[in-house]
Amino acid sequence: MSQDRKTTTAISRRGAIAAGVSAMTVSAMPVRAAPADGGGLGTAEAPISIRMAANDAFAKLWQTVLVPEFNKKYPHIKVTIDGLTYSEHLTKTLLDLTSATPAYDVICNDDPWTPQIAQTGALLDLKKDVAAWTDPDFDWNDFYAAPLAASEWKGVQYGVPLRSNMLLMFYNRTHYKKAGLPEPTPKLTWAEYMAQAPKLVQDVKGEGKVNAWAVSTYFARDQLTPTIWQAILNANGGKLLDADGKAAFNTPVGVATLQTFVDLLKYAPPGAKSHVFTEELTAFRQGQLATMFMWGSVFRGTAVDTASTTLKTEEVGIQVMPVGSAGPGTHRGIWSGEISKKTQFPRAAWALLQWMSSKDGERFASANVGSFPARKSTLAGKPEFPWLAPVFATLAQSYEVAQAGQMWRPRLAKSDAVQQVLADEVARATAGELSPAEALKNAAGRIDKLRL
Amino acid sequence: MSGGRAAAPGRTRSRRVTRLIDTVSRWGFMLPAFVILLAVLAYPILYTIEISFAELDLGTFLPSEWVGWDNYETVLSDERFWHSLKVTGIYLAFAMPLQMALGFGIAFLVNADWRGRGAVRALFLIPMVIAPVVAGGLWRMLLDPLWGLSNYLLGLVGIGPLDWFGDATLGMATVIIIDTWRWTPFVTLIATAGLMSLPRDVFEAAEIDGANWWVMLRHVTMPLLVPIIAAAFVVRWLGAVKMFDIVLASTLGGPGRATNVINLFIYQEAFRGLKFAESAAMSIVILVLTMILTGIFLRGTRHLEQRY
Repeated sequence: MSQDRKTTTAISRRGAIAAGVSAMTVSAMPVRAAPADGGGLGTAEAPISIRMAANDAFAKLWQTVLVPEFNKKYPHIKVTIDGLTYSEHLTKTLLDLTSATPAYDVICNDDPWTPQIAQTGALLDLKKDVAAWTDPDFDWNDFYAAPLAASEWKGVQYGVPLRSNMLLMFYNRTHYKKAGLPEPTPKLTWAEYMAQAPKLVQDVKGEGKVNAWAVSTYFARDQLTPTIWQAILNANGGKLLDADGKAAFNTPVGVATLQTFVDLLKYAPPGAKSHVFTEELTAFRQGQLATMFMWGSVFRGTAVDTASTTLKTEEVGIQVMPVGSAGPGTHRGIWSGEISKKTQFPRAAWALLQWMSSKDGERFASANVGSFPARKSTLAGKPEFPWLAPVFATLAQSYEVAQAGQMWRPRLAKSDAVQQVLADEVARATAGELSPAEALKNAAGRIDKLRL
Repeated sequence: MSGGRAAAPGRTRSRRVTRLIDTVSRWGFMLPAFVILLAVLAYPILYTIEISFAELDLGTFLPSEWVGWDNYETVLSDERFWHSLKVTGIYLAFAMPLQMALGFGIAFLVNADWRGRGAVRALFLIPMVIAPVVAGGLWRMLLDPLWGLSNYLLGLVGIGPLDWFGDATLGMATVIIIDTWRWTPFVTLIATAGLMSLPRDVFEAAEIDGANWWVMLRHVTMPLLVPIIAAAFVVRWLGAVKMFDIVLASTLGGPGRATNVINLFIYQEAFRGLKFAESAAMSIVILVLTMILTGIFLRGTRHLEQRY
């Protein structure tokens, strides 16, 4: 009995403190009084302007397609989306958010960046600081765990998934048929894939010479190149770092999987050592590749949009990356929306992010701007177009796979530093400067010096 | 006498006032430029020097702790820093002479009297006005082993296919080719201006003395051009040591680290690795090194000018 009372008292005290802190945080924000600004959502006489930083690959599309749709529900919130180049995105947002008067109210962050920005104390806690403005229909539990975790750090939820991307295997059915090989399934193993690869280097146009190759992906000296190797490593039970932040990849599994990655070059087109996103994508869309390991979000432009691809929808297959000793592979790449702590309009900023990550917002975005959803209900529902059905099924599987194998870049304040080390050393292995064993030894030494 | 004695201090005062007004007006004109220079040049350099001796707090982008020479020791003991310097040295050793030779050679051709040289001169300027990132992307397309025009043309004469971006030597050659394509017109421009300003009477005298084309080039034109060649070299050198954007747009420093020039290395360490303090130390080392080498080149230039 007394024990019960004690527990009740403790919970109620904690609850009161939490509620008080939450109320203080909200009240401390310079939100204008309800009549003047529509309770922080603007009015026809006094609309609110908020600015968002997003990647330049999709910022313009969001501005022209998503924002007008958002304004149907919130007509008095004017949203400006600035496109930043990927290479400068993190630094620019870091500099902006830590300045006295940041230009951005909302930022759209790539998967590994939340810890790097959150450690500066520049972001709002979405489950606490803006909880009072969260729509009752906004179901946090409806998100798959993997995409939601991309913007979580040290137990605090700083963001919501806006553009969910996963590394997947795209394949060209025509090439497989031509080579006399069975169409890949999600059960395809790395061993089977590598055994089939030589047959996929072939003449598909009847020119009497090789004009199609088995694969291309990121091979050049780029921060995203190691993610392909990491997907193979994770599929075989390996991991990048241990619990103490020390390199855990310099193992026989690590070396063998990096060797597999380097061996892909044997079946790749001439010049593939310098391939990154654009080259790989162009080659696949022009029918020169049987497979590519690529972000799922390119599916529409690769299989549907005739302005950007030579392939027909029925020619293109999509599935998780091949299976290793531990299971299939993938790699998480979620763009999450987060709110600056110094914004003058936290409610308007949260209204934008809530709408973009809501069931309605996700449905609209996946059908109109190619941004894929992270909600279980959206992926389980009937997609607006038939071509989205296999994509949704693959995405749902890849979220589970990523969560089970922790297939993402390090969740650390020095995540990009780790990624740069891996980019340097993996590129030396693909260039033939070093053996996979030497490259991983170098990388492990350098990462351990970072004192993560 | 007394009147003269009384006038002298007055004149002196007036001269002092005039001098004071002169000094104040001179500084008045210089002050805006001085302030702007201080803001855009001195402040970043001083800030870089400051953080090169400190730990940088990423929350405020301000130095948080004085660490003395630690950052410099870390940088100087980093094999990758020296490797990038070596890569930069290789690029400079090939690109600079190539651009100077081509630039002056083309200037001689353009300076000769032939129809259409005006149009050629104008066309030469195009590479200079193309943004480096665009130039890098353009050449990436031209040299692409799958779709590029260069391998197709080389294939017609039985060469290749060459993996311009996948082979270490060809990767460096690619960077040098793109940089040379971009900057040779600049050297040509300076050289053409220099050639046009040479005194005609000297050449006429040499011609009367029976000097042929080679003798005139060797003993008249070249000595007269030495100061211009030296000046063009120094200006181009200052541009070349900043090599960054073309590499970023074309090879990303690869294959492996074959074209990882020092500025790309510093950029990646700072903006990817977020090692701003160590990168600041590297920048200062490079600044000092560049100043020393530029000083040597300027002394050499003066020496050559005096000699000829």
